[in-house]
Amino acid sequence: MGAVLEIRHSIRAFWLGLSVFALTACGSLREEGTGAQVTELATSLIIGQTTAPAAPAASVSRDEILNNPGKYMRVNTRDIDRWDTMVQAAQNGSRVTWVDTENNTITLENGVIVATRGLPRDLMGAEVGQVWAAIRAGGGNAQRTHEFLTDGDQISRELLQCRIAQQGADTVQRLGQTLESTRFEEKCEGEGLQLTNIYWVNRSGRLLRSLQAISPDAGYLQLDVF
Amino acid sequence: MQREVLATTSALALMIGNAGLAQDAAINYSLFGTPGLLEMPTAQSAPEGTLAGSLAYQDGLFQAKATFQLTPRLSLSAGYAIVDLYDDPTTEIDEGAFERSFDLQYRLNNETAYLPAFAIGIRDAFTPGRFASEYIVASKSIGDDLVVTGGIGWGAMGLRDGFDNPFPGLGDRPVFDDADSEGQLGSDFWFRGDAAAFGGLTYQVNDTWGLVAEYSSIDYPEEPGRPALDAESPFNFGVTYRPRPGMQLSLAALHGSEIALSGSFTLNANDRPSMSGFEKAPAPINARTAAQLREDAWDRGALPPAGLRAATEALLKIEGLTLRGLDVTDTTARVRYSNSRYRSQAQAMGRVARMMTQVMPASVDTFILEPEARGIPLASVTVSRRDLEQLENRPGAAAAVLDRAEFNDAAANKPLQDGPDIPERFSWGLGPYLTIDPFSSDGSIAVDTGLSLSARYVITPQLVVSGAITQSVLPADKDDPSPDTDDIPNVRSDGGAYGDDGVPVLQRLTGAHFGRPATNLYSRITAGYLERMYGGVSTELLWKPVESRLGIGAELNYAVKRDSDMAFGFDEFDYNVVTGHVSAYYDLGNGYHTQLDVGRYLAGDWGATVSVDREYDNGVRVGAYVTQTEISYDDFGDGSYNKGVRISIPRDFLMGTPNRSGYGTTIRTRVGDGGARLNVDGRLYGIVRDAHKSDLTDTWGRFWR
Repeated sequence: MGAVLEIRHSIRAFWLGLSVFALTACGSLREEGTGAQVTELATSLIIGQTTAPAAPAASVSRDEILNNPGKYMRVNTRDIDRWDTMVQAAQNGSRVTWVDTENNTITLENGVIVATRGLPRDLMGAEVGQVWAAIRAGGGNAQRTHEFLTDGDQISRELLQCRIAQQGADTVQRLGQTLESTRFEEKCEGEGLQLTNIYWVNRSGRLLRSLQAISPDAGYLQLDVF
Repeated sequence: MQREVLATTSALALMIGNAGLAQDAAINYSLFGTPGLLEMPTAQSAPEGTLAGSLAYQDGLFQAKATFQLTPRLSLSAGYAIVDLYDDPTTEIDEGAFERSFDLQYRLNNETAYLPAFAIGIRDAFTPGRFASEYIVASKSIGDDLVVTGGIGWGAMGLRDGFDNPFPGLGDRPVFDDADSEGQLGSDFWFRGDAAAFGGLTYQVNDTWGLVAEYSSIDYPEEPGRPALDAESPFNFGVTYRPRPGMQLSLAALHGSEIALSGSFTLNANDRPSMSGFEKAPAPINARTAAQLREDAWDRGALPPAGLRAATEALLKIEGLTLRGLDVTDTTARVRYSNSRYRSQAQAMGRVARMMTQVMPASVDTFILEPEARGIPLASVTVSRRDLEQLENRPGAAAAVLDRAEFNDAAANKPLQDGPDIPERFSWGLGPYLTIDPFSSDGSIAVDTGLSLSARYVITPQLVVSGAITQSVLPADKDDPSPDTDDIPNVRSDGGAYGDDGVPVLQRLTGAHFGRPATNLYSRITAGYLERMYGGVSTELLWKPVESRLGIGAELNYAVKRDSDMAFGFDEFDYNVVTGHVSAYYDLGNGYHTQLDVGRYLAGDWGATVSVDREYDNGVRVGAYVTQTEISYDDFGDGSYNKGVRISIPRDFLMGTPNRSGYGTTIRTRVGDGGARLNVDGRLYGIVRDAHKSDLTDTWGRFWR
């Protein structure tokens, strides 16, 4: 650290030139590059409190997922077409936070996303209670409140007016299974944001799959709940 | 695992609303690095917060310039040119003369459907101003792709087919006398003398290619001190290429005889390339159960203090933070930590708080967070654990935590029950260094690169010995420093002769102690080889309440000039001085910060330095400073007095990964002997304000990230 700082302090270069100049350094004063690992929590605790579970292995087998309902969630980040498997990391009231193998998290309330961490433009927090109520009622209106982190490190709030409509029966195919579901579409409009989410709900009222918008920079996430 | 991405449905839509629609066509940057045609300005402004760096080359002239759009209408530019000048007599050419420049432009109105935008500007505002010109310009967009510009200019822009000044009352334009001191505002030149008309247009062919044509009123007469450039024809033509947003490359044919190349690179302080950052998720809050919430005492049998400390330390380490102390009672947990990872202390604080929810006894309902730097606590921020549990991921959570948090001075708290141990007393680092100093004391560009070995030994957290040795790989044994030639000692002007013998040199070797003598007071004592040119003792005291926008500091130093071989000796020069300042720091709000230093400078001269910085909450900073001392302009020499523009951009702004370092430069007048200060590491204000309420508030949106 000290070395890097010292170098930086002595640099009086035109900033353009500098931005392409990568410094490398060795020794214990260099900066650590490893990201935080929530999943290391378990290993560092010697006191027997409940802790976050280990993150899922990069590849969890089909049988492991299907034989342990509720344990895993699969997520596809649409913008970069990346699949990952998530496990529960924490529960706070009715909200459950899931973590993937790269230490990104998604927090759900009744399957509806209320927060993300680790995406290029996270959903910092949300109030979405009316959305699930409208789905359970077979359709209706809902208001959402979303908060984002701006380029200036401030919180910006977006109020969204949403209309949830049932679109009839649809099948969900995954891991070799075909599941019957009812498809719902949610169209939302706010002053600075418009989005459309889709939900597939089974006969017992459980969300099987959803496609939910996060932010224009982070795009859509597809969630498959098992 | 098989892929099961849904077929993209036509219903899928995620759009930014109205905010995204107001995107203007890219602004064209001139060869002078400001919004303009090729040599001539336009009345257009870049979006507020735009920082543009431009390089332009033609035979006999190289220009580098940084332009900052300070407000939606006001832009400031600073840079330098390497230019061939006519000597006296003009049959001789002074090749590669080094000239600094400072420009400003103010747009008077917004363009409307019928009315063009008008702007007034001054180019090269300091004497002698080889390109000094003033102008009034109007620009009008016609459709989305065409912009037509016309204006009148004075000075260098009034030299071609000039006419009588429309403001004759201002009088004649004086001729710059080389005997006059340089670097002062050339206000007695402005808008005087003949004026001339100019104009041109820019046409954007498609997203990437554009055309520029202009009638330039700049001429380069063959007179002493003028740029030795050809300007046979007034017509200039250019092609611009924008391969990606924020980058403009131009090729131009100038005056019928010259070719010019330029590149302009822009970023906007309000538009972070790394968006909200690429760091990974924090640990979620570990919310207590209903049963746990009823606990009112810490069961030390089930959760022994030593285990709690070890766990807390390990958890903070995951976040790149270091536990410096811990004090836990049945109801309160106080954690002191140092942050070497996150630019935002608010973000580090949020991560510490979440980690504390993982391990702290359930009866603990109050968290006291104490960020520390250089071994001293900077602030004490008290938050409610229950608030954290209830607010997590809720709208308004950041504002609510900030609103309910208590900010106090950490020095007032009792000592930590479980103070820090020192895990690593000795540490070292080896890495390359690169310095490019375009404003070195001998007037040329000084480039140096090599290896830097630094080491540190921690005696106590507040008392650290550290040093750095560098070995240049570009040995350039210059002449030995010349003896003093004027009335003031050479305190900086012979800096180029330091450490140029091609052997390893001692950059610094100091012992530094940081302390908290009393509430709201911070202290520093640094002794040893303080910097390249001076050794001695530097002391500092700062008064800065946690919630105050005002800080008052005092610095007193005794400095002895080191030998130019940068070894251990002090024999070569017989120079020592007592120097010091009283400083006031004030956060003006809205992103403006100011500092006033009054005192005695290195050459024994008395004076003051004023600086103003525009700081964005994301850490981008553009500022200017000026120093005036009792030394006369003539004695100071080139530059007249110390002034400069400084720019710094945090690394996480560009890269997105959490980091506390940044990129910066200062564009300044040549380092002179007047108004010079010691370069001491660890000046208090920058360290202390980082974790005080105002700075924490600036990035509080990151508390929950």
